[in-house]
Amino acid sequence: MSGVELADPVPVQLLAEDGTFTEHPTFSRFIEGLDGEALRGLYRHMVLERRFDTEATSLQRQGMLALWVPALGQEAAQTGAIAALDSKDRVFPTYREHAMALYRGIKPEELMGMFRATRHTGWNPHTYNFNGYSVVLASQVMHAVGWAMGIKQDVATGALKEGRAENEIVLACLGDGATSQGDAHESMVFASSYGLPVLYFIQNNHWAISVPQQTQSRTPLAHRAAGYGFEGIRVDGNDVLATYAVTQYMAEQMRAGAGPKLVEAVTYRMGAHTTADDPTKYRSQDELEVWKRRDPIARYRTWLEAQSVLDAETAQEVDQEAAELAKDLRTAVHSMESVPLERVFDTVYAEPHRQVEVEKAWLKDYEAGFAEEGRVADQ
Amino acid sequence: MSQTFNLPDVGEGLTEAEIVSWHVSTGDSVEVNDVICEIETAKSLVELPVPFSGTVKELMVREGETIEVGQPLIRISAADSGAEESPSATDLTTAEPQTGSAAAESSNKAPAEDEQKSAGRAENADEEQNQALVGSGPKADAPKARARTRPADLDLIDISDLDLPPGSDQPAGRSVSRAGLGGRSAAEMVRAATPPVRALAKRFGLDVAQLVGTGPDGRITRDDVETQAHHASDRVSGTEAVSLYEGPREEQVRVRGVRKATALNVAASASEVPHVSVFKEVDVTRTMELRSALRSDPSYQNLNVSPMLFAAQAIIRAARKNPQVNATWHESHYTLCNYVNLGIAAATPRGLVVPVIHDAHAYTPQGLAAAITALTSDAREGKTTPAQMQGGTISITNIGSLGLDFGTPILPPGQASIVVLGAVRTKPWIVEGQVVPRQIMTVGGSFDHRLIDGDLAGAFISDVASVMEEPGLLIT
Repeated sequence: MSGVELADPVPVQLLAEDGTFTEHPTFSRFIEGLDGEALRGLYRHMVLERRFDTEATSLQRQGMLALWVPALGQEAAQTGAIAALDSKDRVFPTYREHAMALYRGIKPEELMGMFRATRHTGWNPHTYNFNGYSVVLASQVMHAVGWAMGIKQDVATGALKEGRAENEIVLACLGDGATSQGDAHESMVFASSYGLPVLYFIQNNHWAISVPQQTQSRTPLAHRAAGYGFEGIRVDGNDVLATYAVTQYMAEQMRAGAGPKLVEAVTYRMGAHTTADDPTKYRSQDELEVWKRRDPIARYRTWLEAQSVLDAETAQEVDQEAAELAKDLRTAVHSMESVPLERVFDTVYAEPHRQVEVEKAWLKDYEAGFAEEGRVADQ
Repeated sequence: MSQTFNLPDVGEGLTEAEIVSWHVSTGDSVEVNDVICEIETAKSLVELPVPFSGTVKELMVREGETIEVGQPLIRISAADSGAEESPSATDLTTAEPQTGSAAAESSNKAPAEDEQKSAGRAENADEEQNQALVGSGPKADAPKARARTRPADLDLIDISDLDLPPGSDQPAGRSVSRAGLGGRSAAEMVRAATPPVRALAKRFGLDVAQLVGTGPDGRITRDDVETQAHHASDRVSGTEAVSLYEGPREEQVRVRGVRKATALNVAASASEVPHVSVFKEVDVTRTMELRSALRSDPSYQNLNVSPMLFAAQAIIRAARKNPQVNATWHESHYTLCNYVNLGIAAATPRGLVVPVIHDAHAYTPQGLAAAITALTSDAREGKTTPAQMQGGTISITNIGSLGLDFGTPILPPGQASIVVLGAVRTKPWIVEGQVVPRQIMTVGGSFDHRLIDGDLAGAFISDVASVMEEPGLLIT
């Protein structure tokens, strides 16, 4: 295999912090196809997700969700990437890809099942070509490689299923923390060895809970791709246009059989790692202020307004729609019915399994131990 | 109609939080998600958004107060039903909850009770719609609930390869399973040998329950299985060996408890401390006569009056004269002890223990007799506490009770001297040129030679011996 150049450590950027646009010799052409409606669509989606996200955080604070994983600040990275894909391209998300999930049409009540602890996965991955959230770091990138191997085998043996396309690619999402997992390494070795259409999409949000990005890697994460023999690009993940363009650029080559690629979207987690985390304990307010100025939605709105693509009335409509979505989310969460705990055992294995049966029986026995106390409490 | 917001679990498994500051006051109107207060949990400072809109009726917790998850935090009257509450009704809902009997006794309070009940129902009705996972729901005390009964331990380990008799596949603790496994429960058995080792044993046709493990924590290792298999094949191959006694040809016995502690102590002491021993034969006839006298003395009733008692007092006296025998060596210095903590070695069913009489020099003769009696009986019954075995400065061991005359004991850790008493025997002894029968005993000891040379050891043992020879010296 020929040598692969190291990624430019300066992230690709089209929109600067202040909303000014700079042409890029390679990537500008990928956004030329976006008309006013498509551009407004990106804006609308980011605003909706952000409102959805803050409502979910509130719901957790009110005891309605067991946990929430805020994506605040990462709206552009997620929206830019998912918008650049075909709806048939399978996505293997982490547990933070809310903008991607909503983009694919996953409904609030489906998305919240896991966070309300009523479902393992609230949606059918085949319906949305969007796999279940994975809480186990980097496990999803191996699933992505497996899926890509399946595509390759299906194409090779002429057994492609109806509705599937030959040039599908797979989006493997991971964070800067997960890149330190052995699983991430192994999956990249396999993807490269077999020339699989896996696009590694790293959202480098600078913090793996309390571990800073500099500890995860002394070099830009995009440089790692060269070690496996494929291309990596750093992009400003708070620039929705650049992220969209770079993802398109990569996808285009991959559909032509170029094998795996890697995108490192440089972004920032503005909120807590999860609602059980307090980021003020490990990062400075000064750092937060720097990233506030790089807000992905604000800069994009400035540019849209300057281009006269977005007017005040449309922006207000989007805000109104976001408020409706938040309300829908609240209603959905409040009306979610809890499932009998026993049911969680029924979806672990397809066939009966001794260990699961033993655990289920034990739980039933354990729960029965509360019966007497329950009666007292009801009085 | 009012709604109560109970403290939720804002982290994962938190049980309580402190209310740091309120951001609203009674009478303020709030919208859904307005921040009402800041709380501090074990994990973080968190701003709490309110789940209802309406008017704040009551802040139910003071700033600085810590409450448990599920306890009420704030009461809000619904915004869209402002007219339903009369002032008196408000008072009633904020009143102290009344017990049923108190309300029933006072008939003029009956309407109040009704109001309260209906208010309670309304609240519950609201909260059922808004059922929180933890905290705000009607079963808000769920995190504190404890199961009344405990199901049996979870049995997830496949032990079918152990070929246990029927009924053995039971949770740990059933006697039936222990009986068939040489005192081990099935669960212990599984912990004692990994599946590959169990598989190996099975290949050799060995019963894993009969093996003794030599690995960490008594785990049965591959070597244990192979050694046992080797012995088994020896027996099979014809040279049928005769047993010395009934039992297996070799047996690995686990080292534990007192045996283990003793082994560690004596090994450390013998390898670190250069021991030196001296002996002297002593005519203890007068001591034995005094002993007979004391045995019939009412003040010594029920006390064990043995040569040990006299030896103990002799040691205390001799230590006063030869302070360096009652000391601890520390390489750069040694500690002289101006007191005697007397260790008394006792053979017990559990093994050798050395309980200590602290400040033995402060005891009266009767007191010392009582202390020795109590200490030795405690030791034999296994009731000696670890504290009773600490801090000895000098020890005594009576091998005479075993019918022995000479012995070179190992020093207890940190002590420089141990006195050994042999058996008292009637022997021919020359007194004033005549051979006469006298009661003779060997008195000796082991000493830390870093601290105690032969002359000092000799002087000390001679001083002990002279008291044993002439117990009247004790009153000098």
